[in-house]
Amino acid sequence: MDLNNVLDFPILSLSIFLPTLGALVIWLFVHGDKAVRWATLAVSIATFVVTLPLAFMFDKGTAHMQFEELHPWIATFNVNYQLGVDGISMPFIILTSLLTIICIISAWECIQTRVKEYMLAFLILETTLIGVFCALDAILFYFFWEAMLIPMYLIIGVWGGKNRVYATLKFFLYTLAGSVLMLVAVLAMYFKAGHTFSLLAYMDYPFDFAWQFWIWIGFFIAFAVKVPMWPVHTWLPDAHTEAPTAGSVILAGILLKMGAYGFLRFSLPMLPDASQYFVPFMVILSLIAIVYISLVAMMQTDMKRLIAYSSIAHMGFVTLGTFMFTQVALEGALFGMISHGFVAAALFLCVGVMYDRLHTRDIAAYGGVANVMPIFAAVIILFAMANVALPGASSFVAEIMVLIGTFDASAVTQANLPVSVKWVAIIATTSVVLSACYTLWMCKRVVFGDVNKASVGAMKDMSARELGYFVPLIVLVIWLGLYPTPVLDVMHESVIHLVAQATTSKLDAAAALAQTAPMLNAVHH
Amino acid sequence: MANVTFPYPFPEHLFALMPEMFVAVIAMALLLLDLFIARDKKATTAYIAIATCLTAAVLSVQAMMPEPIIAFYGFFVLDQFAVLAKVLICLGTAIGMILSINYMKDEANVGEYYVLMLFSMLGMMLMVSATNFITMYLGLELMALCIYVLVGYQRDLLRSNEAALKYFILGALSSCMLLYGVTFFYGVTGSFDFVTIGKGLATADSGAHTAIMLGLVFIIAGLGFKVSMAPFHMWTPDAYEGAPTPVTAFMSAAPKVAGFAIFIRILVDVMPAIQHEYTMILTGMAVLTMAVGNLAAIMQRNIKRMLAYSTIAHVGFVMLGLIAANDDGYAGIMVYLSIYLFMTMGAFGIIILMRRDGIHGEMLDDFAGLSRVRPGYALAMGLMLFSLAGIPFLGGFWAKYVVFMAAVEAGHLYLVLYALLFSAVGAFYYIRVVKYIYFDEEKVAFNFQESRLMQATVVVMTLAIVALGIYPDPLIDLCKHAVAGLI
Repeated sequence: MDLNNVLDFPILSLSIFLPTLGALVIWLFVHGDKAVRWATLAVSIATFVVTLPLAFMFDKGTAHMQFEELHPWIATFNVNYQLGVDGISMPFIILTSLLTIICIISAWECIQTRVKEYMLAFLILETTLIGVFCALDAILFYFFWEAMLIPMYLIIGVWGGKNRVYATLKFFLYTLAGSVLMLVAVLAMYFKAGHTFSLLAYMDYPFDFAWQFWIWIGFFIAFAVKVPMWPVHTWLPDAHTEAPTAGSVILAGILLKMGAYGFLRFSLPMLPDASQYFVPFMVILSLIAIVYISLVAMMQTDMKRLIAYSSIAHMGFVTLGTFMFTQVALEGALFGMISHGFVAAALFLCVGVMYDRLHTRDIAAYGGVANVMPIFAAVIILFAMANVALPGASSFVAEIMVLIGTFDASAVTQANLPVSVKWVAIIATTSVVLSACYTLWMCKRVVFGDVNKASVGAMKDMSARELGYFVPLIVLVIWLGLYPTPVLDVMHESVIHLVAQATTSKLDAAAALAQTAPMLNAVHH
Repeated sequence: MANVTFPYPFPEHLFALMPEMFVAVIAMALLLLDLFIARDKKATTAYIAIATCLTAAVLSVQAMMPEPIIAFYGFFVLDQFAVLAKVLICLGTAIGMILSINYMKDEANVGEYYVLMLFSMLGMMLMVSATNFITMYLGLELMALCIYVLVGYQRDLLRSNEAALKYFILGALSSCMLLYGVTFFYGVTGSFDFVTIGKGLATADSGAHTAIMLGLVFIIAGLGFKVSMAPFHMWTPDAYEGAPTPVTAFMSAAPKVAGFAIFIRILVDVMPAIQHEYTMILTGMAVLTMAVGNLAAIMQRNIKRMLAYSTIAHVGFVMLGLIAANDDGYAGIMVYLSIYLFMTMGAFGIIILMRRDGIHGEMLDDFAGLSRVRPGYALAMGLMLFSLAGIPFLGGFWAKYVVFMAAVEAGHLYLVLYALLFSAVGAFYYIRVVKYIYFDEEKVAFNFQESRLMQATVVVMTLAIVALGIYPDPLIDLCKHAVAGLI
């Protein structure tokens, strides 16, 4: 947009590095737990304010990258510090800066040991998360993607539960093993596409099918671990269970989205033919996530584990929508990610509220919470309904869009599936029932009924601070549920462009290039 | 390439050799001077030796000419590549000495300790400037003999003696192999000069093939011993564990720089004609080295032993640069070694700082609770370990990146895939130490042996790792320039 060109202000860089700068200042100059908490909150709010212009000044009429920045970084390898956002990445930046504030408030009282380190880790984590969504250079993307492991490892490991060592090692190694394959894929693209790391150049370069195939697999493993998709999902329930509340919030709210974002940013536009080829594979994995993981969720006795499995099932919806190659389904998938960011975050916060009181996440330890914590009961039921995707909640919009998009999937998707895509939609729809089963059953056992345990009877209702961080989430879930247009408007152009990229085969251009390339070489020599 | 070749050995040739002569003279003078330094003031010897190292680094840069100088009738070369290696060697030795001051102050004959380090540094400096197998062997042996003694410096400790003996026997054997390999090349080409042998090998008739192959195998085995490539790595864990920790720190960095620098020079000057053969051998060894290093490190409970296997693992990654056999690969090796020098010596620095009565801060669980007692040390060690694991925003990531990139460029995609998988395996044992530092509670009271100088050194190394992690371009550029002069 003209405005941001005129301003020519590195707003993305500021959003990325403000938290780290703040962390540095806090590390050096702020002492005392109380002061550190307030200073961190101030930094996170400042970051949120800095990211707001991205939303207000965003030009919805174009699919081009906006707020672009480009500086050479490692000239010898043509690695650039290249940033930019479009309608696909911009909402995630706002989501990150918003959830970080909520995380910091939620940790206000439950983190009592090593408060400063905790807050610094969170601010540095915020830098890497915003960086991932802004990066338009593959190495820069990888840089943030991997750097995120360090603060997350410490957050779960230092402030986590009993079994945290196992959970962190599993989380770290799964993610690392996945992402090294992404690095190989990136290096392969670098040499194939003419010594560039620019994501936009990769989108334009016609890779032939064999290259697309292997590069797609490299990316798939990295992203599938992060989403996480069945069968590489097993790190998530462990990580969630052991993480402190805010760690779970940021994990479910943002980290999981990075994988799905990767599919949208890399696989679909850069490797359209391989993406189409793998449609049946992705559909099957997504359906397994939706149906099987929902059944697994039903059997959980630990609340955090249950919500973790529910997250995997919801992410199954996202990956399903991603590979339908229609505007409706893709927007549904994107909207689902944002909505899930609010709903899962809120549910983890609810568990955190209860955990702070009884120090257990066991469903059986509760019962009749509504009698002693009426306000809390209202909040958790509201978000449980949102998790079930009841009309009126943002998740309903997402789920219905994905389902419509699946019923009405593109010819490309249908051509790659052996059965009618309607069957896929029908199987996916069972999720509506299954998610209602596990969510409502949990609510029944935890919230309703009589108070049978003395410990539950002694629970105090939520404080103003606790209610405070739920309010923005409640407002957003209902507002986006009733009126999703503002967010969808932001996505439209970018998604239309993405659908065009994903459904246009690169093979003809690749064949043409293969024919002209020897001639070009002949001219050069 | 227009080499500046002077007709007579004086004085320009001596000018090229100035840094080495300086070190030799000071080292000998220091040996005498040390007799006059009181027992409780032995740190003075160390400070003089450290100043000598740093001056030698400056002199090396000063002696550099725009064009490579070949001195003493082709026995000695001073080019940008040699200068870069020398600067790293001098820096590594200086850091090794700084880490030694507190640790060694109770040992007998501590003055000679620093002199031995200086002589060993002199050997390495000669080695990286060698253009001739004789010069190389002289430098190599000077380095190795000093290190054998340094490893066994704690005469009262059984394990120090054991380590020295093992290292000496295997080291002597490997030197024999190297010499034996050189004799084959001499037999085929009638020369010890790198470039002459290189030309001779290219034009040798097919009857000499067996002799050339034997020479190649023995030379690679001999050099492989020195830089701990599997299957010639056996001495490494024992020598690392038994040696005084500052010696371990020193051994893990400077001799590796020297070893790889001369390895590169030999591959470039001597072996281009047999590239296919040496690539095959090195590929096999790299595959083995990465596996052995990374898998064996998982089993270790002693951090010095663990870092020994970690060194082997990193050697395996560095070997990808040799296998790539292109400019980027060789530059990548120098980038890798520069960054590795800071990472590994920084990690050893923390280990040495943690020495306490009777305990040397060597078992993994000695680190338990460090983050509560000394958050600064914990942060430094954590960053070093994440960097060794190759996680971004730390230097170790770029070290791996440049080498892997060069290997992909040379068409070794599968090897890079293999290396990356093992680097993920490697992350396991590094972050396990982070676990002890950050997640666990303190078990025994810490008792640090600290000095301002050592703390400052560790801080500088940590900052260097972070700075290189965020902006590695100048270092990569420097190494590329240095290597460009070589080829």
